[in-house]
Amino acid sequence: MSDSIFEKPSRRSFLKLGGVVAGSIALAACAGGGSGGSTASGGASAGAKPGIGNNGQMGKGRSGATADSLLIAGFQWGPPATFNPLSPTAAWPAAANVMQIVYETPLRWNILTGEIMPGLAAKYELDGTNSVTLTMQDGVTFSDGTACTAKDVVFSYELGKKNPGINVASFWQLADSMEAPDDKTVVVKINQKTKNVGNVLRMLTENYVLPQSVFSGIADDKLPTEVMDKPLGTGPFTLDKADQTQVVLTLNDKYWGKTYYGGLPVMKQIIHPIFKSNEDGNIKFQAGELDIMQQFVSQIWKMWEGGKPVGTFLKDKPYYVPGSMPMLLMNTTKKGLDNAAVRKAIATAINYADIAETAMSGYSATVQPSLILPTGAESKYFNADDAKANGWSYDAAAAEKLLTDAGAKKGSDGIYVLNGTRLGPYKLITPTGWTDWNASCEIIAKSLKAIGIDCSTNFPQQAETTQAIQGGTFDLAVWYVSGVNPATPWARFKDIMSQSEMQPIGKTTFANYGRWKNSEVEAMLTEASQATDDAAKKAAYDKLDALYRKEVPACPIMYRPDEFYEYNATNFYNWPDEKNSYAPPMFRGAGNTWMYKIQKIAG
Amino acid sequence: MTNISSSAVSAEQEGPLVPETPQAPGPKARPAWRSLNFGPRMWVSLGMILAIAVLAFIGPLLYPYAPDQKVGGLYDAPSPEHILGTDNFGYDVLAVLMASTRNSLINGLLAGTLATLIGVLIGVVAGYIGGWLEEALMGITNIVLAIPAIVILILISMSLQSTDIPFLKGIVGLALVIGITSWPWTARAVRAQASSVATREHIDVAKLSGARTGGILVFDVLPYLASYIVMAWVLQLASAILAESTLSMLGLGPSGTNSLGMQLHWALAFQAVAVGAYWAFLPPTIVLTLISFALLYLQSSLDEVFNPRLRRGKKKNLARAAARRAEAARKLAEQIEGRQEVTA
Repeated sequence: MSDSIFEKPSRRSFLKLGGVVAGSIALAACAGGGSGGSTASGGASAGAKPGIGNNGQMGKGRSGATADSLLIAGFQWGPPATFNPLSPTAAWPAAANVMQIVYETPLRWNILTGEIMPGLAAKYELDGTNSVTLTMQDGVTFSDGTACTAKDVVFSYELGKKNPGINVASFWQLADSMEAPDDKTVVVKINQKTKNVGNVLRMLTENYVLPQSVFSGIADDKLPTEVMDKPLGTGPFTLDKADQTQVVLTLNDKYWGKTYYGGLPVMKQIIHPIFKSNEDGNIKFQAGELDIMQQFVSQIWKMWEGGKPVGTFLKDKPYYVPGSMPMLLMNTTKKGLDNAAVRKAIATAINYADIAETAMSGYSATVQPSLILPTGAESKYFNADDAKANGWSYDAAAAEKLLTDAGAKKGSDGIYVLNGTRLGPYKLITPTGWTDWNASCEIIAKSLKAIGIDCSTNFPQQAETTQAIQGGTFDLAVWYVSGVNPATPWARFKDIMSQSEMQPIGKTTFANYGRWKNSEVEAMLTEASQATDDAAKKAAYDKLDALYRKEVPACPIMYRPDEFYEYNATNFYNWPDEKNSYAPPMFRGAGNTWMYKIQKIAG
Repeated sequence: MTNISSSAVSAEQEGPLVPETPQAPGPKARPAWRSLNFGPRMWVSLGMILAIAVLAFIGPLLYPYAPDQKVGGLYDAPSPEHILGTDNFGYDVLAVLMASTRNSLINGLLAGTLATLIGVLIGVVAGYIGGWLEEALMGITNIVLAIPAIVILILISMSLQSTDIPFLKGIVGLALVIGITSWPWTARAVRAQASSVATREHIDVAKLSGARTGGILVFDVLPYLASYIVMAWVLQLASAILAESTLSMLGLGPSGTNSLGMQLHWALAFQAVAVGAYWAFLPPTIVLTLISFALLYLQSSLDEVFNPRLRRGKKKNLARAAARRAEAARKLAEQIEGRQEVTA
């Protein structure tokens, strides 16, 4: 879970080193240094410039060596090991599905509108659920000047057939073939058993196009392990240098998209300083020594209230556009939790507002009783009326009534007993160090105890948690499911409700961790995945979501942004925000658009 | 049976050197406890401990907010209603602080007492009995001493957290873990003292009069170590409280309970330092510091009480005590002379 910022090992190992008092004193000293280092960057009157700080402020621009550089952070945490995009430990920006600076994808996803935007392919056409046809942009070249053609696209995806250990390998469970009839056309034949168009498109928005000239020279089994220090991609920047302190990228003046984007990016360099911890980055960001970053900042509004030209996409809470929904998973094989009424009572007992306000620092909107995100790309499928009529919201009394209606009686210890089963003690797990989730768990456990369900928290290491969840040995767990992408909400329904991947307790599965059993859901999932138009999809999702609300195999506890998008208008303006929404608040996918549109404040 | 603490007290009183003279009740008859000559350090440390105990045990009865009652948002700044503001859960920091201090003190008492008991048992047995048993016990002690306690603590508390036994999951469980890992230095120090006591004459007397080993240990050895054990116990209390805080701050504390370390854990996790919420991390830090400081100060002032050579005090008092001693010596000499005259 790369977006939970707290599990960065450096910080935890730091904590382990320090004693209690020593630790707090050292940190207090850090804070002192931090506030001293934050030079005032706000103050200049902003005029009518778009895309500046939430307080209407912007800086005067940086002078010196970094005046023409975009400073970005939050993606690379250790020394860069390799820039091989097929490596699971590839450094930014060669890592999978990050900002398209060096490598680009055929298509790009827009989290705000749900549209699939052009990438290296100018357009795509669907033939029902049979095939996808991509038409390449004009004059695409790699940064060394050689042409990038449809053959490179096909080559890049077919690497997945050569080595099952790389990301793109799973593309071949969704597609039967990919062909390049000419240099500008790519035809993907969709697997007719699964007919999963959404997932095929998702793969086309997430997997980079790589140069055949470079990768054909690597042995199949070496594909993910080959060390590369000079990545060759189609993107607007090339790698200049990388060490344990920073990654520096230089503008490629001959970038193929110069005409397509209406000019080159205004910055000559992109620099990603590598920080030891989140806090180091946050302090630099506040001081205007970073222009944009993807990091969790507790109470970010304090920055613009303090006069810094800091901005987020949304100008009011929750400030970030929701992109994922951590779920409370319930193991339906455990006594008590096998009863849908108990599960619904649990969903009704949780104080979602507390979680949003405190654990999530206010960055979550009110949670809806649905597996569909009610905002952004998925909002068109969300059935607000049915959610209101048959869903739940926090109400401790209603939760207790659900239990008593089901025949539960309160025992002398204040815990309900249903059909001879005491409701609890249930152990609620999530990985240690995933702080916002840990805090959410504490609130959930307290909420459940308050209505008479015995629950306590436990935060094992991530590997242990993953094992318990995939093996079905947990009671309750907070865990993630698919975030917003072209394959959701279908993928999320599959994650929670799929019957086809059901495994007995102790055997690893990758969907339906709660082992919830149902005979009708599989047909509904197939119907939803194969629906071609929005009306048919909506009808299918309505049925799935209604079943979900009746059975409650899991419940969303908060919405998280897909990426924390926050900028500091010290050196650049025209950042995308809700009033200036020419690009979505993303780094990956269609988020690359802002790279070409931001403007320098000085000069 | 003599007892070292009573002999310490008697040394303080300066009384028993002088045979009681019934006709001379001093003009100001001081109550026994006044003559303990605790000294200012002792009073300061006792005052601090008392203040912390009041905060921990009486405070919650008077304070209007419960530690698990959400009274505000994430890190609300201190205000007249909530003088220490709110923490990351929106709970009143002072309410949480009082509950935390209570739990930390209870934990320290349990763990410190357990560690002292184990250490004294092993130390006394090894020191008094000696021989192969001493070698074996001290071997074990040295091995345990060589293993870094924090590693053991982390490993055991991690597995404690995932047990299903509710008793072990709370602060009692954590206290047990700390108690059974922190006894070795006490055992070593007590053994040294015990082996010195074992060579004294009164032990031979006890042996000759047919006392059993157990009886000798309890009635003839332990009393001589009592002052040392009390001081070791105070140190164990302080280190147990710190150990608990360290574990809790690392996120290995008992789930759902308040403790000073837990407060620091959440404050660090929610970047209280970065957002300037000093009220979330300073109070537990200060209370922790005060607790350890007060206990260490108490320990060093107890040392003065038990060991007259270290005693400090007002010059006037010292001079008066010296005068009393001289007077006592003079009277003793007179008596002896008198007796000699009588016998002569």
